[in-house]
Amino acid sequence: MVLEEFWSWIEATPLAAHIGESAWFPFLESVHVLSAMFVVGTVLMADLRLLGWAGRRYPVTVITSEVVPWTWGAFVIATVTGVGLIMPRASWYVANPAFLAKVVLLVLAAVNMLVLHFFALGTERVRLQMTTGACSLIVWAGVVLAGRWIGHLS
Amino acid sequence: MHDTVVYLLSNVPGLPPIVQTFHLLGIAVIMSSVVLLDLRILGLALPSQEVQELTRRVMPWVWWTLPVMLLSGSMFVIARPQRYFTNPIFGLKFALLVPAIALAAVLHLVSVRKPDAVSTKVIAAVSLLLWVCVVLAGRWIAYVDYLFPEE
Repeated sequence: MVLEEFWSWIEATPLAAHIGESAWFPFLESVHVLSAMFVVGTVLMADLRLLGWAGRRYPVTVITSEVVPWTWGAFVIATVTGVGLIMPRASWYVANPAFLAKVVLLVLAAVNMLVLHFFALGTERVRLQMTTGACSLIVWAGVVLAGRWIGHLS
Repeated sequence: MHDTVVYLLSNVPGLPPIVQTFHLLGIAVIMSSVVLLDLRILGLALPSQEVQELTRRVMPWVWWTLPVMLLSGSMFVIARPQRYFTNPIFGLKFALLVPAIALAAVLHLVSVRKPDAVSTKVIAAVSLLLWVCVVLAGRWIAYVDYLFPEE
C-alpha cells in the first residue's frame, strides 16, 4: 500500500536514522513532555474559566486572549518534537492503538476548540462555554493518558 | 509496601500509565501556573492580570498539586528503589526540585509584597529556569544510559 511505503520511506530518511540512533531522541522527548504539559496546563486554565471555577473576576475572553497564544507557541514546539519522535519508527506508531487513540483525541480537541471559537466565545452562551470547557478537560486528560500509554505497548 | 506496590503495578491493567498520567497532569498544573506567573512578573505575559491577584490565584494550585506528585512519583520509586537511588539523574532532579520548591515559597511571599522589585524579577527568572530543568531531568531519569554509557 502507498501509505505503508510512505511510513517506511520516512523511517529510511537520514534525519529519522539520525534521531533514532543518537541522544536526539531523548532530547526531543523531554522537550515534547515539557511543551505538551505547558499546553495542557494552559488549556486547563482556560477550561476552568469557561466552567466558571477559576479566574471569574476576568471575562472569558481576557483569559483566552492572554493565555491561549502561549498555548499555541508551546503546541508548535510539541508538534515539531512529536513528529521528530515518530520518524524513526513511523510504521510502528501508526499501528500502535494508543497512538491512534491519541490522534483521535487530538482531533476531538480541535473540533471542541472550533465549536468554542465560532459558536461560544464572546457570546452570552454560557452553557455552551461550560460544555466546551468540560469536554476540553476530559479530552486533554485523555490525550496525556493515550500519549503516555504508547510506550507501554510493544 | 514494596510488595503491594509491585503487585498493583504489575497486575492492575493499565495502572502504570494511569499513575504516570496523574504525575504528568500534575506537571501541567505546576508548569503552567509557575511559568505564567514568572512570565507575568517579568512583564512578558498576561498584561491585564495583576501580579498579586495572579499569585493568590495560581500558587495554591502548585501547593495542592505537590502531594499528588509525591504520591504518584513515589509508587515507582517504592517499586524499583535500586533503579532510582543509583541513578545520578534522579539525584539531580531532586537537587533542582528542592530549591525550585523553596524559591516558589519565597516567590509566593515577595510577589505579593513587592511585585515590581528587581529582586522579585530575578527570583521569577531563576524559578522559571529551575522548574524547566526539573521536568527535563525527570524525563532523563529513563535515559541515563545516553549520558553515562554502561561498559
